Amino acid sequence: MDLPIFGQNLLAGVAIGGVYALVALGIVLIYRATNVVNFAQGEFSMLGAYALFALTSGLKLNYFVAFLLSLALMAVLGLLFELGVYYPLRNRTFLPVVIATIGASIMFQNGALAIFGSSPEKLRPVIQAGTHGGITLGGVFFDYQYVVILIVTGLLVVIQYFFFEHTLLGKKMQATSQDKDMARLLGIPVATMIAITFIYSTLLGGLSGMLVGPIFFVTHRMGGMLGMKAFAATIIGGFGDVRGAIIGGLSLGIVEALGAGYISPIYKDAFAFLVLISFLLVRPQGIFGEKVSEKA
Amino acid sequence: MLKLDNIHAAYGKVLALQGISIEVKQGEIVALLGANGAGKSTTLRAISSLIQPTEGEISFEGKPITKLAAEAIVRAGISHVPEGRRIFPGLTVTENMRLGASIRKDIKGITEDMEKMFKLFPDLGRLRAALGWTLSGGQLQMLAVARGLMARPKLLLMDEPSLGLAPIVVQQVFQTVQEINKSMGTTVLLVEQNASMALSIANRGYVMETGRIVLEGPAQELLKNPEVREAYLGGKRAAG
Amino acid sequence: MPKNLRSFNWGYLAIALGAIAVIVLPMMVTTRYSTNLLILGAAWGIAAMGLTVVLGYTGQISLAQASFVGLGAYGIALGTTRWHMNWWVALLIGVLMAAVAGLILGMTTLKLSGHYLAMVTISFQIIFTLIATNWRVVTNGPDGVTGIKRPPFLFALNSAQKYAWFAMGALFLIGLLVYFLRKTRLGRSMVAVRENELAAEALGVDTIRTKIVAFVLSGIIAAIGGAVYASGFLYISPDTFSFETSVQFLAMALAGGTESVLGTILGAFALTLLPEFLRDFKKVYLIMYGFVIIMVIVFMPEGLWGFVNLIGRRFVKPKALPKAKNPLQVGGQGASGEDLLAVANLGKHFGGLKAVDAVDFTVKRGELHALIGPNGSGKTTCINLISGLYIPTFGSIKLKGQEISGVRPNRIARMGLSRTFQNLRLFKELTVWENVLIGSQRKGGTEAQIADRALAAVEFVGLESKVQERCKNLPYGHQKLVEIARTLAGEPELLLLDEPAAGLNQTEKQEMVGLLQRLHAAGLTMLLVEHDMSLVSQVSDRMTVLNFGKKISEGLPDDVLADPVVVEAYLGNREVALGA
Repeated sequence: MDLPIFGQNLLAGVAIGGVYALVALGIVLIYRATNVVNFAQGEFSMLGAYALFALTSGLKLNYFVAFLLSLALMAVLGLLFELGVYYPLRNRTFLPVVIATIGASIMFQNGALAIFGSSPEKLRPVIQAGTHGGITLGGVFFDYQYVVILIVTGLLVVIQYFFFEHTLLGKKMQATSQDKDMARLLGIPVATMIAITFIYSTLLGGLSGMLVGPIFFVTHRMGGMLGMKAFAATIIGGFGDVRGAIIGGLSLGIVEALGAGYISPIYKDAFAFLVLISFLLVRPQGIFGEKVSEKA
Repeated sequence: MLKLDNIHAAYGKVLALQGISIEVKQGEIVALLGANGAGKSTTLRAISSLIQPTEGEISFEGKPITKLAAEAIVRAGISHVPEGRRIFPGLTVTENMRLGASIRKDIKGITEDMEKMFKLFPDLGRLRAALGWTLSGGQLQMLAVARGLMARPKLLLMDEPSLGLAPIVVQQVFQTVQEINKSMGTTVLLVEQNASMALSIANRGYVMETGRIVLEGPAQELLKNPEVREAYLGGKRAAG
Repeated sequence: MPKNLRSFNWGYLAIALGAIAVIVLPMMVTTRYSTNLLILGAAWGIAAMGLTVVLGYTGQISLAQASFVGLGAYGIALGTTRWHMNWWVALLIGVLMAAVAGLILGMTTLKLSGHYLAMVTISFQIIFTLIATNWRVVTNGPDGVTGIKRPPFLFALNSAQKYAWFAMGALFLIGLLVYFLRKTRLGRSMVAVRENELAAEALGVDTIRTKIVAFVLSGIIAAIGGAVYASGFLYISPDTFSFETSVQFLAMALAGGTESVLGTILGAFALTLLPEFLRDFKKVYLIMYGFVIIMVIVFMPEGLWGFVNLIGRRFVKPKALPKAKNPLQVGGQGASGEDLLAVANLGKHFGGLKAVDAVDFTVKRGELHALIGPNGSGKTTCINLISGLYIPTFGSIKLKGQEISGVRPNRIARMGLSRTFQNLRLFKELTVWENVLIGSQRKGGTEAQIADRALAAVEFVGLESKVQERCKNLPYGHQKLVEIARTLAGEPELLLLDEPAAGLNQTEKQEMVGLLQRLHAAGLTMLLVEHDMSLVSQVSDRMTVLNFGKKISEGLPDDVLADPVVVEAYLGNREVALGA
């Protein structure tokens, strides 16, 4: 086996996997807080990428100003999404909510199409240095953007872990996701906790889009497949667990990159879903499983 | 202290409460008795605003609280320990208790109260770092009570604390309730199916049936009432 | 026989209007363009009706409908162009492929539901699109297939108008089929699965088989829609059968009303025609489309047709019920006093919790046996074990001498065991009548026999005046009676009752006592779990007392209630309880 090529595939897999993990993290957080599977999570990526694109290329803002402004826009979007889609349906069953989030994703996609048109746009990478935008180590080319993705993903995982395990707000959010009525009885403002969850998840989504934008083209359709993959990653990792989203995302990214590199690039997307289906049939509860108390 | 006036409530079209009027005075232990599905838990849910009454008025210390949000009810001084304990399984004993004090900001007071609880429930003191789901039934009930008390309530609502516990543990739980009532001055409204145990520590009692109050009176009188014995104490023969 | 309990049925009016529309519509549209739209609407209407079966009736989500449609379309396209087959043979092949795909997806419901199932169907859809786009040798890739043939038919389908008749005719036929499917045993089983899977299983519905059949049927119907589409436009390409199209089918079904055939067809035509009308605003239209989906879900949970139906129902008066021809035959045959149910060394542990721990008891034919004990003592777990909802950790359960531990609930139910649930598991959206009919199906027989047993059961509990009501609108006491009537209609030999008197007031309790006594007199064997001691002592022949998962006493009611161990379990320490 040609090691540098393997390394190259692996690196690409891990980096893309990191992006999947970020989107999946958003799905898991919303699911844990509300039991809603958000099929529009991928669109948050797309919208985040377009927001950054519009602010940097359109308004010619400084990249980091534009970056922060885009995040602010995503936060607003997250709140609107919660109020417009989740809140009216909070007492309904799984199916209507899923379809409503699909409806929202159609809206977002076509909204972006109407505003930005169908031609793909290129987003500026975070680090603009050198002619190649990366360095070669041991025969493997490290694209700076890949490195940035890995660092950001790693950082977010650490921050999130610290937030949930070591802050009172994090504990309150955990309590909300474990038992809403009980949280209410303890005086925890459940509605606020859920709003925060949606805002944070939307931020994660948007961020993933801003990171992946320079690697792929930014189009109105980029969110669809990204969302599906992230959802698949969520299932592989297990819905109940934040670790699951990370492991699921990374493993899906790696399987995909290796499959594309060694078997067939055309069926790249198929590998992810074949892995998912076989996984579901063998271990439906995911790697980490959902915490279920067996006694009714 | 707490007054329910003609409370009606429904789940969808199914009527759960059909005109409940109850009064709880400062310092009392009041028992609310009745069979499964009589509406006892719904009454507590109505008080803590988990369900909105369709009719009627609830007031606490003279102020109407019917329309307040659940969070505001806790702030007003009412703590609800629900049926089935509802301990957060993925959080530790300390974390569960800390969340009980969600509405409080006095870190020092919270720490003191927590130590007080560990004295009151020595079992919990040993198990500070244990996750909720690892506790036994009796420990869970103790933790639920401790968590409820962490809000420093004036009134404690307790829903079926004896459910699924061994008789010896049930007796411990009831003794603790009595102790809390005496030493901390916390007023208690207690929902129970185990009527004899509940009445043995209560000052007064109400008996519910299909969403209505059908009997009320001092605990000792209810204990002797043949109808109560018949329906809730295991039949004439058993109690005789 | 109560063929139809509603004096006026909207369905029949719809059928008549539909038949007229099939003939008249293709004559009314004059341009080639609008005729094509009609064909498209018909094809998509058929495809969306697959969702009526799988989602509307059975309540299972499928986001792979477009791939089923694609299988049908590719079957026709490749069959008639590349392999020069007869059109109908090609149709059969496409339909078979879709049926197999449906079977595979249906089998995943064995393990998966909800969002997992949604994801599997999406995966299937995405894989289909990838193959159709990339397997150029067979599918011709993104370029698609041209020169597709039209079917040989009674008359030559050589004009768009003639083909429109064919397409509309197919839509009409499939619509009828799906409409009448709802009124068959299979259709009722499907709705039972949707409304409450556990209750359906406990009433003898093989829920797994029902779900698989629903997916297969849905695939077949969608494939026919695909075939109609392919021959209508003589050209197909993979992007027509994408995930977006699957979502579109879902939107059609939802907008019209998933459970209603007519609603789905209306939804299909509305969503097919709308973008054409809004051609100039196409971009905005698609944004609106997403928005409308959300709005429909928020404000019209039952779709357009559900909304119309709600208004329609006000003008419909129920017909008087006929009397049942035969009385209920509960209790089955067999010697009175023999062991009908024998539980030996039965145990169920949940992790460390010993919910039921080595319990023995028997229920003799004809007796009313009470299972009592404090809350959490394992009574309901026992009932769940006996009815097959839980698999025992150890021990044996014999019904009529046959081992039933580990047997699926629907099989146990069909052996003659029926049960009620503590927290009522009714098919809430259905009428009382349909609830009881589903219960009656277990014993089989003709439709007339099923209906007659249902009538007899309704009469037995005295709910004749309520049969048209939807269960969710009934007061609690009546809901309890519906649940009992539902089990009785299947003429069980052994009935397990889980707290039938919970939540009833004194009057209703006395009525329940009367009902139990009448059932007892009719020869039905019952195992009763109940808290209300006065009720238990009034009706039961024998008692078994559980505490902490173990049997602590057994025997005649008088003896058991005087047993100091039982008194202790119920009262706790008597000195503390009564002495203070």
